[in-house]
Amino acid sequence: MTSQFATSAELMARVLGADGYPFAIIDHPMSSATGDQLSHRARIAATAIASLLLLPSSDGAG
Amino acid sequence: MTLSSKSYAVDDAAAAQEFFHSRGWTDGLPVVPPTTEAVQACLDEASMPADHLVGIEPVRERAITAEKLAINAVMAGCLPVHFPVVVTAFAAMLQAPFELHGPTASTGGCAVLIVVNGPVCETLGMSGSFNALAASDRATTAIGRAIRLILGNLLDARPGGIDRSTLGHPGKISYCLAEDEKNSPWLPLAEERGVAEGLSAVTVMAAGAPRQIMNEWTTEPEQILDTFVSEIRANMRHYSIWPGNYAIVLPPQLRAHFAAAAWSKADIRRYVYENATIRRAEWAECGKGAVVGDRGDQVYPALPDPDHLLVIAAGGPAGGFGAVIPPWFGTKSHAVTVAIGDCVDGCDL
Amino acid sequence: MSLQILDPTHEADPREFRPAARLESLEGTTVGLLSNGKKGTRPFFAALAAELEENYGVARVVQVTKRNFSAPAEPEIFQQAKQWDALVAGVGD
Repeated sequence: MTSQFATSAELMARVLGADGYPFAIIDHPMSSATGDQLSHRARIAATAIASLLLLPSSDGAG
Repeated sequence: MTLSSKSYAVDDAAAAQEFFHSRGWTDGLPVVPPTTEAVQACLDEASMPADHLVGIEPVRERAITAEKLAINAVMAGCLPVHFPVVVTAFAAMLQAPFELHGPTASTGGCAVLIVVNGPVCETLGMSGSFNALAASDRATTAIGRAIRLILGNLLDARPGGIDRSTLGHPGKISYCLAEDEKNSPWLPLAEERGVAEGLSAVTVMAAGAPRQIMNEWTTEPEQILDTFVSEIRANMRHYSIWPGNYAIVLPPQLRAHFAAAAWSKADIRRYVYENATIRRAEWAECGKGAVVGDRGDQVYPALPDPDHLLVIAAGGPAGGFGAVIPPWFGTKSHAVTVAIGDCVDGCDL
Repeated sequence: MSLQILDPTHEADPREFRPAARLESLEGTTVGLLSNGKKGTRPFFAALAAELEENYGVARVVQVTKRNFSAPAEPEIFQQAKQWDALVAGVGD
């Protein structure tokens, strides 16, 4: 989610019975961002996405 | 039949106001307390059981019942006789071509334009005359408001909630008008869109704010329409280039010139379709050069075909003022017309 | 005098939601990226796909764009997603 839509994601999750569903947040807006800014956000998103998709590590480091 | 909604005890009508406001269940204006009796009266008028399923909102997979629509209609100030129009309007909004979620959640901030046709207009005192687009009578104001309350209370489409409108516009409070069929030389909008002659019907469209135009200096239909076309082209330049349903509203003073020249609504639609186009390069003239790219010569029509233009006869008897009502996002939501009798069995309206 | 007034909101029906199972690893997986098609998404998702493949061991990234940014994705996309190990969707402007 871009930052300005984070609250709508929280609300839609609640509406759909998935209160607290975790998601990644990146800077807003996208439509006027430069290529470098979008690449930077992609790197941030990839780190968050990997964490969200994987089982927690066994040492509890998350 | 017993109503299934949760019920709350409040001291009086004044207490009811604060009860609703504190929970975010109103639009900021006072509401009519929705008692069981008032809600049942609406359901009786529409001959609907409380648990009648009006439709399913697909994004939330949420069932919309007559009871819940009636509660919000009462709150908005609707009389029981207004309720069949409210039900029909929301049923139309739930139909697939309208794609309800986009118009009611988008940052684009549109409202739902509701156009009413047929005998119901006279029954409910909806004249389609003075102030046609703004609080012209009790019925249009209350019906439009009911839709706003329904969206907030049943779909959580409240400002900053699921409704992410950056600005919105005043039509989000109420945006309902009747077509002035008695004083129009033309077929009613609903009949043109497939409803049988003589039936009452509702058309809904995801719409931006009305843009008023003025041309009192000619009697030539083409020149009058050129003013409307210029406003449509301005919308394409300044707001959204994508084609879809546009609505234009023509008052009696302008309609008279079309009647004198024997122009039908079909003639109007054809003229606007052929002339309301822009080239992508025009965006560079209004600050949007960044998105012209190498497609500057691409031509965009406002209407995918002439039938996408909704021509509405409405407005007070004097004044060469018309309106262009643009779509929220023409390719993503389409106008829908439903006969009231298709939603409300045995309805006399 | 007291008034009994009715609740105008959708009264919650209990919905069962179970998130998809988390993965042991991204190594060798197929990840779908579902875009809403708005401006900026193409370079963003292209960069994200490259990151996932080059730095997180994802074997294949499938990029799809839904037809209408304001509506749920088409059923065909969800059918296609059954072949993936994970789906990432984004909302933004």
